[in-house]
Amino acid sequence: MRRVLVAESSAGEAGLVDGLDVLGVRDVDEAVGVLVGSRRVRPAASPPPVRRSGGHDLADVRGQPVARRAVEVAAVGGHHLLLVGPPGAGKSMLARRLHGLLPDLTRAEAVEVAAIRSLVEGPGSVQELEVTPPLREPHRGISTAALLGGGSGVPRPGEVSLAHRGVLVMDELLETPRQTLDALREPLEQGEVTVERVRARVRFPCRLQLVAAGNACPCGNTGDTRRVCTCTHAQLHRHRGRLSGPMLDRIDLHVQLRPVAPERLAGIPDGDASVDVAERVRTARRAAVERWGPGSLVRDVPIEHVRATVRSDVIGVLSSAMEGLGLSARAFDRCLRVARTIADLDGTDTVAAEHMEEALAYRLPPIGVSA
Amino acid sequence: MSRSPVDAVADITADGTDARRLAGVIALLARPRCSSETVRSACRAVGGDGPPSQQLDEAIAQRGIVPGDEVTQLARTWRELGVRLSLVGDPTYPAALSDAWPQLDAPVVLAWRGVAPVDVACVAIVGTRRPSGYGTAVAAWLAEAVSAAGVRVVSGGAVGVDAAAHRASAEGPGGTTVVLGCGHAVDYPRQHARRGGLFDEIVAHGGTIVSELLPFEPPRAGRVRARNRIIAALAQAVVVVEGGHRSGALITAGAAAQWGRAVLAVPGDVRAAGSVAPHRLLSEGAAPCTGPGDLLDALGIDAGVLGSLTGSGNGAATHPAGSAQRAGEVFALLASSWPRPVGVEELAVRTDTPPARLLAVLTRARIDGLIVEGPDGVRLRQVPATKGSKHHSS
Repeated sequence: MRRVLVAESSAGEAGLVDGLDVLGVRDVDEAVGVLVGSRRVRPAASPPPVRRSGGHDLADVRGQPVARRAVEVAAVGGHHLLLVGPPGAGKSMLARRLHGLLPDLTRAEAVEVAAIRSLVEGPGSVQELEVTPPLREPHRGISTAALLGGGSGVPRPGEVSLAHRGVLVMDELLETPRQTLDALREPLEQGEVTVERVRARVRFPCRLQLVAAGNACPCGNTGDTRRVCTCTHAQLHRHRGRLSGPMLDRIDLHVQLRPVAPERLAGIPDGDASVDVAERVRTARRAAVERWGPGSLVRDVPIEHVRATVRSDVIGVLSSAMEGLGLSARAFDRCLRVARTIADLDGTDTVAAEHMEEALAYRLPPIGVSA
Repeated sequence: MSRSPVDAVADITADGTDARRLAGVIALLARPRCSSETVRSACRAVGGDGPPSQQLDEAIAQRGIVPGDEVTQLARTWRELGVRLSLVGDPTYPAALSDAWPQLDAPVVLAWRGVAPVDVACVAIVGTRRPSGYGTAVAAWLAEAVSAAGVRVVSGGAVGVDAAAHRASAEGPGGTTVVLGCGHAVDYPRQHARRGGLFDEIVAHGGTIVSELLPFEPPRAGRVRARNRIIAALAQAVVVVEGGHRSGALITAGAAAQWGRAVLAVPGDVRAAGSVAPHRLLSEGAAPCTGPGDLLDALGIDAGVLGSLTGSGNGAATHPAGSAQRAGEVFALLASSWPRPVGVEELAVRTDTPPARLLAVLTRARIDGLIVEGPDGVRLRQVPATKGSKHHSS
């Protein structure tokens, strides 16, 4: 297919697709004219890609070098990230800054993202090719249909698909209804979601990076040394129930945050700025692409491929260690991926013991919901 | 000829406790019909968001308290018993309690014998004074495992479940703390409090005996109830092993809920009278405790620590040198902070260790069983060699 005829109002949008001559026509008459050759229409020019700057810099996050490191690792491998801590510990701040670290989308990826947006915003609404990965921050009261996709009669993509190739921030993850969380599990695993409606059944892509944030307990005081948790046991129990084991297993990096006391901020050296970290992220991502081909993200590569780059003695040592520390098989595989990413950040092709140990550390901190 | 009250009190203050302030508080508590609650309400009336020490000073000044001979007498009694005292907000007074002062009913003063009652991960194991064989065995089983994982066991020092829990945990790395429902000078319960009894044994093994009461206060019902709330407040989780329908364990569980501590109950024989309390708690939403793993889970401690302990010896003995050499500064900071946990971020900043390396070191240390990690950070699993003796009173 080389040339397409579309309604004139949609010509700009169709022009975003590479390798197509898009001819915008006003009416059937004009379309017939073009086809019989009596009329000439100039192909719509494809607009230049756009990059929007978020304006959130990682250097604004004072202290918390470990959380910053986790964000950097997450950005490289596209790993899902869970930030747990009391209000004011900087969870949302870090979530937005992670998005700012992601490299531009390739043209093909940007077209996928634009296509999904167009389905939601209506024909002709998308007029420029945005190469900034999408950042979606649905409200915590979001319905399952709005999250996964729905619509009356005709399926419409939901937030997970709008976040395709980008970041889905779910604040107050533990306040989200349990069935919504459970419904999120399969799309996260599959990278696509099937939406069934009366008139159609459609699969939408949703290769997204989940950045979840939550309080360690309902009152939010756990982990804050200046306050006392006032939750009852029943509340805590319910809270913990929200994050069922399988859901937690799908989140690769768990980070506990504590608010930094203002008086301590003075002596803390500034962390790296986003531009510097983003450069490291780009370099490390390039390593994955060189190893496995274009578009490869450590999160999505088949696990056997990841395993092939890990020294066998590392797997042996760690599997015996993990037996003692009680992690599931799924968690094991996810740790392998994170270790692979860390090795890429380190610039080495083989995953060594210290990479695996760091990866395990993001798994081991318990979620501090037990007060 | 008697010494000045403040001088006498100076003999029994814990490190970092102000003798003048303590003398004032003792004088206030020694007045008729005065209790910890009197001091708390005085402090609430003073208001302000100053530290507890400041509130206490103001409350004492307002009431025109001048310590007299009665304070000297009390101080002498305490000294003879080897007891030392910490006021709320002092370094040797657990922050878990002082954080809630004066809103929740934290005790104003802790009189203690043995190791100072500083902040450590604690589990309360409580239950009836007349347990079945099953109850005794479960209490001991839980207590031993919890202590082995480096977590302290708190209970009320009574006969029955309490005693079983104290005995089983006293020698482990976690150790044990007894909270008395009477003063230190009262021999109650007699077989535990007498010379060479359970309490002396506990102190000899690095345990603690605490009381918020003046030395001669007898164990009355109201005081035992008050004792139970201290048990709950000291612990991060309370597990009820056996108890009847009017069991004091229910009071401890109630206090635990008020203080936001986890409550667990051990399921029992449905036909036994001693199962009433735990089963009622279970029906009200307490978590079932079916083994030490559930308890450590409630503390946010990986039950895997247990596995590595019950395996071939403990990993700590085989690997510490290697880990310590690789991260000397990290371990030095953890040792100097012991038993307080240090947040991972704080560790990174204060030891200037790159996060990647720090996390690798911490994982190694967890695998080796050297550290435990909870919501408040990381701490060494066992008393560091250089620190153990410092906490014992002479």
